[in-house]
Amino acid sequence: MNLIRFIPATRKTGLAAFETELLALLPRLRRFARSLTHDGADADDLCQVTIEKALLARGSWQVGTRLDSWMYRIMRNAWIDTARARSRAAETFVAEEAGLSVGGTGNAEARVALNEVDAAMRTLPDEQREAVALVLVEGLAYKEAAEILDIPMGTLTSRLVRGRQALMARLGEAA
Amino acid sequence: MTIEPELLMAYADGALDPLTTKRVERAIANDPALAEQVARHRRLKSKLSEAYAPIADDPVPDRLAAMLTSNVVQMPKRPPRARRVSAAWQSAAAMAACLVVGVVVGRGMDREGSVMATDHGLYAAGSLAQALDDQASGAKGPVRIAVSFRAQDNGFCRVFQSAEADGIACRDPKGWALRRTMPGSAPRSGGGYVQAGSSDVELMATAQNMMADMPLDAAGEKKAIASHWRAR
Repeated sequence: MNLIRFIPATRKTGLAAFETELLALLPRLRRFARSLTHDGADADDLCQVTIEKALLARGSWQVGTRLDSWMYRIMRNAWIDTARARSRAAETFVAEEAGLSVGGTGNAEARVALNEVDAAMRTLPDEQREAVALVLVEGLAYKEAAEILDIPMGTLTSRLVRGRQALMARLGEAA
Repeated sequence: MTIEPELLMAYADGALDPLTTKRVERAIANDPALAEQVARHRRLKSKLSEAYAPIADDPVPDRLAAMLTSNVVQMPKRPPRARRVSAAWQSAAAMAACLVVGVVVGRGMDREGSVMATDHGLYAAGSLAQALDDQASGAKGPVRIAVSFRAQDNGFCRVFQSAEADGIACRDPKGWALRRTMPGSAPRSGGGYVQAGSSDVELMATAQNMMADMPLDAAGEKKAIASHWRAR
């Protein structure tokens, strides 16, 4: 039997403030998902799981606190669960091939750039990739990123610097 | 003076306090290699943010947006679990559903008593239950039945529409269990224009997935009504 969850709706807008705000965040969440998963299809699956988790946990989000940080955290934890559940060897193998053909809907040049960056991101350890994604792609402050990842500032900066050095080497001086 | 890589990176990102910024600037002025390192950090940052920017500019796929714009969201499929856990979870879900019935559906249903919450979930009551029991598909009335069908578990289900709620109800020994409800699409008595919603499309798609076979035809429905929708 399929079980259904009902979301309270305000009569005026039909959507609760939570949904409205979350809807506005979706583009950024998709971008974060892409930089974590380095694959378009995986990214949207991750978005779906994240939204499901957020809707279930909405009671624990405090109005007035930042919804984006809360969502980034849910997404990052969901991705850890997903990645853990997969066979790492199989994932790397498949992704290596799939990455070449996967791109966004933008122009060819943008797709090539994205594929190149995706491929470089794939080589990073998870802990470095998530730090890079939050700071360099999402543009968060170090402190915000450290809070989302639940690590001290010093840990964040050392992961970030190692991740960046690896990316610079990988992407060459074109970086 | 040595500048640690972390410090240089933080400088490149503009993340340092003014005093430390000055200190790093002095070091950079004396060491072109450091300046080059800062430039590389900044190039990498803009390269990454530019590469991923198109993702955020892309339209969000409908299936993701629909999770937030629809009033009803399907629960993720759960792997089979031990009976106890699953039962507890189901009753929690039913409880959550009950809470919200007052908000989403409650515009009239509670008052008319068309839905009742039981230990086993939500059930049709009053005029809704009556219509589900006796009314033929397509017949006019405050409640309209769109289609009747036999679900994969062999029980009968019916898709209904009313001013208060649309949904799918399935017959079990305890009555008409509400499997799916959404805000009503049928015009209220007294007329008035009602915007066409996606609810009927979505309900029909859900019904399609639940069906064991074809929908009941008029004769089959008549027989089912006569036998009080008892599953054979």
